[in-house]
Amino acid sequence: MSLKDQISSMDMDDIVEMCINQEQQAIDLYTLARDQAKDDASRQKFQELVDMETVHKVSLSNFEIENYIELPPADLKVTDYLMEPELKDNMTTQEIIILAAKREDKTARMYQDLADHFNFDKKLNTFFQMMADEELRHKHDLETEYENEFLQEG
Amino acid sequence: MKRERPQSFNTVPMKERMIIPRQDMPEQDAGLRSTNFLEVNLGLTPEQAIVEAQRCIECKSPTCMDGCPVNIKIPDFIQLICKEDFVGAAQKIKEDNSLPAICGRVCPQETQCEEICVMGKRFEPVAIGRLERFVADYAMQHGNGSTETFDKPASSGQKVAIVGSGPAGLAVASDLIKEGHEVTVFEALHEFGGVLVYGIPEFRLPKSILREEVATLEDMGVKFVKNFIVGRTMTIQELMADEGYDAVFLGLGAGLPRFMNIPGENLNGVYSANEFLTRSNLMRGYEFPEWDTPLYRAKHAIIVGGGNTAMDAVRTAKRLGADEASIVYRRSEEEMPARNEEIHHAKEEGIKFMNLVNPIEFISDDQGSVVAAKCLRMELGEPDESGRRRPVPMEGSEFVMDVDMVVIAVGNGSNPLISQTTPEIETNKWGNIVADEDGRTSMEGVFAGGDIVSGGATVILAMGAGRKSAVAINEYLKAKVGS
Repeated sequence: MSLKDQISSMDMDDIVEMCINQEQQAIDLYTLARDQAKDDASRQKFQELVDMETVHKVSLSNFEIENYIELPPADLKVTDYLMEPELKDNMTTQEIIILAAKREDKTARMYQDLADHFNFDKKLNTFFQMMADEELRHKHDLETEYENEFLQEG
Repeated sequence: MKRERPQSFNTVPMKERMIIPRQDMPEQDAGLRSTNFLEVNLGLTPEQAIVEAQRCIECKSPTCMDGCPVNIKIPDFIQLICKEDFVGAAQKIKEDNSLPAICGRVCPQETQCEEICVMGKRFEPVAIGRLERFVADYAMQHGNGSTETFDKPASSGQKVAIVGSGPAGLAVASDLIKEGHEVTVFEALHEFGGVLVYGIPEFRLPKSILREEVATLEDMGVKFVKNFIVGRTMTIQELMADEGYDAVFLGLGAGLPRFMNIPGENLNGVYSANEFLTRSNLMRGYEFPEWDTPLYRAKHAIIVGGGNTAMDAVRTAKRLGADEASIVYRRSEEEMPARNEEIHHAKEEGIKFMNLVNPIEFISDDQGSVVAAKCLRMELGEPDESGRRRPVPMEGSEFVMDVDMVVIAVGNGSNPLISQTTPEIETNKWGNIVADEDGRTSMEGVFAGGDIVSGGATVILAMGAGRKSAVAINEYLKAKVGS
């Protein structure tokens, strides 16, 4: 059964739960990477990612569709053409940001696809649009950080 | 703090000063200099220096000093030039800046002292940098002044190790030797000067100038040890515990090249700016075959970036014989971080500027050598937090151009060696050492300053950080004796 078919047969609470699980998976991945990282710099960056995903998870638990205001951030596309690094224990902060931005991009696309698919259902459409915007916001923040630090062009 | 105005030696009436044009610095002809590595700027003549100094309107509240990270007494040294006491002017600068001949050449004065020169509000600012360079060169040629006026203080009996001989390390050495400490500078490379020697080309900063400055410090009693990698040859802990150093200053700079992480960056013919410039500058590739460092002579060399390092690399590529040498920069010229003077010189030398272009892949031949770059055209979008408009890729704008050499000049990071070998020293997520504003790190007796703390910045900012640390180290050592 495809993800879209699964969602069609779920109620809103289950859908939210599914998305919370998705965030938890990201938290688990970044926590593991933080614990295995060999230097302070990458440990700190992974911890920031854990914190970012945790905030999102908590906000999902408390979300109210009625209060959502659509404000999609700009897609800077800074990391779109960069090679995706492998998750390993000796990553540089630069590689970690690229990896995370690409994960956010993929997830944003998935949620955008779901939002477009469920355009006939206002509640579902708004929920997935909100998720897509949030993932894109994370990507935006990571790419801004990347640009400020790694594209000084000095 | 209100400071006393220096005695005036300027005989030109105030109104006339404002109509004196800013003195142009003579320079090598562009066509000629793009084929040699001799210095581009030739320096003011004594007559020009006096005329330029006479442009100073001797403000009651001069702002120029505030623009200088080491607070050189600019009004004072300018008056000494008016008096034609050029060596005295150099000595006055050396009270605050141990490397005036270097700073006179590479400091971005247009965004520091000259930017806030009161004269510059209505006219062109006084050419403070050119004057600094003039008196420093004059003093070198006519008796430096530093060592002659240097009375060696009584020994404190305390030893300080300085790791790295770049601008921060040299500034610390200069200040601490005057306090009677035994100062040793450890350098990983085989020449002293850090980024000044491996990063800045001969045509912008002749190595002889640097050697003179180092020799002056040696005359003052500073010991220099080369080919010594702290973290490998010996750790910081070993320097302190086994070799008896009471304090350590870390001025390692930001020498770890950054790449873009696009496909093809590992091809033959793709260099980091660090490698390319080190081969040419430190390893004297520009003097091949007299020196055994080969450097490829390109048909079309592209340098990715828009800062001073990119300008140094592209002008080096041109001088090494590239048929065509181009800057590829993803923003517009307005956003370029390079000094205007460097951009201007590069253009005069025939460098091509491809702005709003970003490489996304380098393509190889069957030998693994780069033969082409796939690029995207960019357009400026919404402003970012700094107010600069962000470049964003233009859909469907991909194009491929022939290139046989690429230099990536997008910035540098910190070498992780110290953080890996000295876990007691805290680093941030970028790998920079965490230090307070006086350079104290999380390890007792260990201080740090310059690019290793701030990330890539300017020579004078590194010197300013070094001087602050020198004060803190001196206080630390005094307290250590007292305790």
